[in-house]
Amino acid sequence: MAVRTSRKFWSAVQTLAVLAAAAVMLVPIAWIFLAAFKTHVDVYQLKVFFVPTLENFATVFSDPYRLGDKLLNSTIVAAATVALAIPAATCSAYSFSRFRLTGETAMLVMILATQFVPAVVIVLPFFVMFRDIGLLDTRIGLILVNLAVVMPFAVWMIKGFIDGIPLDTEEAAMVDGSSRLQVIRNIVLPMAAPGLITSGIFCFIIAWNEFLFALILTNKDAVTLPVGLALFKAEEGDLWNLLSAAGIIIMVPMFILALIIRKHFVQGMTMGAVR
Amino acid sequence: MRDRTLKYLLVLPSIAVVLATAIWPLVQSFVLSLYQGLLTRPKFPQKFIGGENYAWAILEEPAFWNAVAVTGFYTLATVVLTVAAALGLALLLVPGGRLRASVQTLLILPFAMSPALVGVSFRFMFNPEFGLFDAFFGLVFPPLAHISWLADPFLAFWVCVMADVWGWIPFLTLVLIGGLAAVPRDTIEAAQVDGASGWRVLKDVTLPQLAPVLAVVIILKSIFSLKTFDQVYMLTNGGPGTATQTLSHYIYFNGLKYGQIGYSASVAWLMVIPMIVLTYAYAKLVFRKA
Repeated sequence: MAVRTSRKFWSAVQTLAVLAAAAVMLVPIAWIFLAAFKTHVDVYQLKVFFVPTLENFATVFSDPYRLGDKLLNSTIVAAATVALAIPAATCSAYSFSRFRLTGETAMLVMILATQFVPAVVIVLPFFVMFRDIGLLDTRIGLILVNLAVVMPFAVWMIKGFIDGIPLDTEEAAMVDGSSRLQVIRNIVLPMAAPGLITSGIFCFIIAWNEFLFALILTNKDAVTLPVGLALFKAEEGDLWNLLSAAGIIIMVPMFILALIIRKHFVQGMTMGAVR
Repeated sequence: MRDRTLKYLLVLPSIAVVLATAIWPLVQSFVLSLYQGLLTRPKFPQKFIGGENYAWAILEEPAFWNAVAVTGFYTLATVVLTVAAALGLALLLVPGGRLRASVQTLLILPFAMSPALVGVSFRFMFNPEFGLFDAFFGLVFPPLAHISWLADPFLAFWVCVMADVWGWIPFLTLVLIGGLAAVPRDTIEAAQVDGASGWRVLKDVTLPQLAPVLAVVIILKSIFSLKTFDQVYMLTNGGPGTATQTLSHYIYFNGLKYGQIGYSASVAWLMVIPMIVLTYAYAKLVFRKA
C-alpha cells in the first residue's frame, strides 16, 4: 500500500515537472504573442487580458519600418541559398554515399568542419572583399556567404537519406542499360525527394535565422528580418509591441516549417553523429 | 560518362562552395591578421606587420583577456546547465504518453526561433518595469523585484546564460531522448529485477550507455557556446561595459566598429584554435559511428 502511494506521488511529481518545463519553454514565446496584439499602453502593464489590436502589424509594415522589404529580403536570400545548396549537396552526397573516392574522409571532415568555423571569422574577409567589389548590402553577397553556413548541413543530411536508399533498384536499372545519370534522375531523386525537401526546409530555417552575416554585410537595402529587429530600438527605449509583432513574423513561419520536419531536426543538427 | 570521372565531378560543386565560402575566408583571415589592416584605408594589402597583432592581443590588451574570460565562463556555464537540464528533461519525457509526446513536439519551437529573437525576448522578459521573469523572480525573492538586470555586470551575464540555456535545452533534450531510446530496455529491466534503485539504474546502466551521445552533445554545445554572438548582441551588446563581451562580439566590435580588421582577424584566429580541437574530437565521434 505504501509503495503504491509513493509511486502515485512520484508520478504526480513527474507530471508537474513536465508541465513546469513546458511552461518555461512556452511562456516567453506566448508572451511575445500576447504583446504583439497589445497597445503600447497595455504592454507596460503586466496584462494578460486586454482588447487585442492588429495595429502593431499595420505599423511595422508601413513607413518608416517597412518590414515588408525585410521580409522579402529574408525570403529571397533563404530561398536562393537553398536553391543553390540543395542541388550541389545532392550531387556530392550521392557520390559520397555510393562511391569510394580518394580523400573521401578528408573531404567529408572538411565539409563537417565548415560548420564549426565561427561566422565572425568568415565574415571579416568577405566584408573587405565585398566592400572592394561593391557587394556590400546586396542580396547576392548575403546568399554567397550563407552558403557557407548551409552547405555542411545539406551534404551531411542528404548523405544520410541516400545512405538509407537500398542499392538493388539502382543496380537492376544499371544492368538493364541505364546510365549512371539516368539512374540518379529516374531512381535516386524520386526516392530521395522527401529527404531533399526535409533538408531544404532545414537549410531554409538556418538561413532565415542567420544574424551575424546580415548584421555586418547589410545596412539598408538587403537587411533581413532578424537584423530588422534593431529598427524598433528607439531613443525612448525598445518599442516592445512592435518588436513582438516583428518577432511573430520572424518565428511563426519557421515554427510551421520546423513542425513539418521535426522528426529529422536532430539528425540534421548532429550531422549523423546521433541517429 | 565513366563512374571514375563522374564521382569526382559530382562532389566538385559543393567542395568548391566550401573552399570558397569557408576555407578561403579562413586563410584570408589569417593573411589579414598579419597586416595592419585598417578599414579607414581604401584598399588592401596594407602594411605587413607579421605577428604584431597577435602579440598585441596577448600581451597588451586586457580587453582581449576579458573576452576570453567571459567566453570561457559563458561556455562552461551554458554547457553544464544546458546539458544537465536537457538530461533531466529527457529522462522526464522518455516514458512517453500523450502529455509527454505533445511537450516533446513543442520543444521544437524554441529551437526554430532565431537566436537574435531569443535575445530580444529575454530583454523583454527581464525588463525591470514590466518584464514577466522580473515579476516572477520578484515574487519568489522580493529583493530581486524591479532590478535593472542588464545594468548589473553579474546579473547581465547570467541573463545571457539563461537566454542561451533556454534556447538550447530543446535541441539537446531531443538528441538525448533519441540516445535514451537506444539504451536497451532489457538491461534496465534486468537491473530493476535485481532490485537496483532508480538512481542506481540511472547511474550504472543508463548513463554509461548514453556516454557517446552525451559526448556528442557536450562537444556540439561547447562549439556553439564559444561562437555565441546573436543573443548577446541583442540582449546586452556586450555590456554593461564589457561584462558580457564574448570573443565573437569583441572581434565584431574591433573589426567593424573600430575598423581594425587586421587586429580582429588575429583574435579570430586565436579563437579558431580551440575550435580545431573540438572539431577534431567531434569528427572522431562521427566517423567511429560510420
